[in-house]
Amino acid sequence: MQIYLIEAILLVFLIVTTISVIFCKDILCAAVIYSAFSFCAVLLYLMMGAPDVAFTEAVIGTISTIYFVASLKKIDRWCK
Amino acid sequence: MKKPFGGIVLDTAFRIIVPFTLIYGVYVLIFGEAGPGGGFQAGALLSIGVVLSRLIMGDHASFNISVKNSLVLAGVGTFIYAATGWLAMLNGGNFLDYSYLPFKAEHTNELHALGILFIEIGVTICVMMTIINILDAVVERGDENGSAK
Repeated sequence: MQIYLIEAILLVFLIVTTISVIFCKDILCAAVIYSAFSFCAVLLYLMMGAPDVAFTEAVIGTISTIYFVASLKKIDRWCK
Repeated sequence: MKKPFGGIVLDTAFRIIVPFTLIYGVYVLIFGEAGPGGGFQAGALLSIGVVLSRLIMGDHASFNISVKNSLVLAGVGTFIYAATGWLAMLNGGNFLDYSYLPFKAEHTNELHALGILFIEIGVTICVMMTIINILDAVVERGDENGSAK
């Protein structure tokens, strides 16, 4: 029972982070919220019993966040 | 990139984190047959060391790999994968049929483990160099005004 509760909370948090990525005005803020979305996806994959997919998602979420921040540094767009 | 992400906190954290990340990447590569992990994850973990060193230290980083070398090494990784299959074909089996690899082993299980290790090494090198190459394309293409070269 409790495992379903935790899974429901994670799913709600996943949807909330996705919608806030769409409606976020600042680009750096959107990149950081996207990494939070990736972490929620990692926890959900682990609870569904797919540690291999979770591991891949964790590594690729980290690397894509690095790409986003590096390109933001390149175009000089920081939060004001 | 022109201005790296500098700073004393980032330098110290980089020095502590990166050796553990590299050792964990090699562990994931070797242990990938028996647990979660494999070539793709190991390549991504190994590339984090190079990517972070380039972002934090800039052009004179300690683990720097140039664009041309990363492209060539990505091709070498793919070639290692294909050459394992070709070795099995030259010995009389099908493509990537590990039982026909030309090595001495007591059982065919050892040959299977050896063949999987070879193709995972190839995948690791290819993924690592491709991620470094994508970082080059993201960071260094274009001049200071943002227009493409």
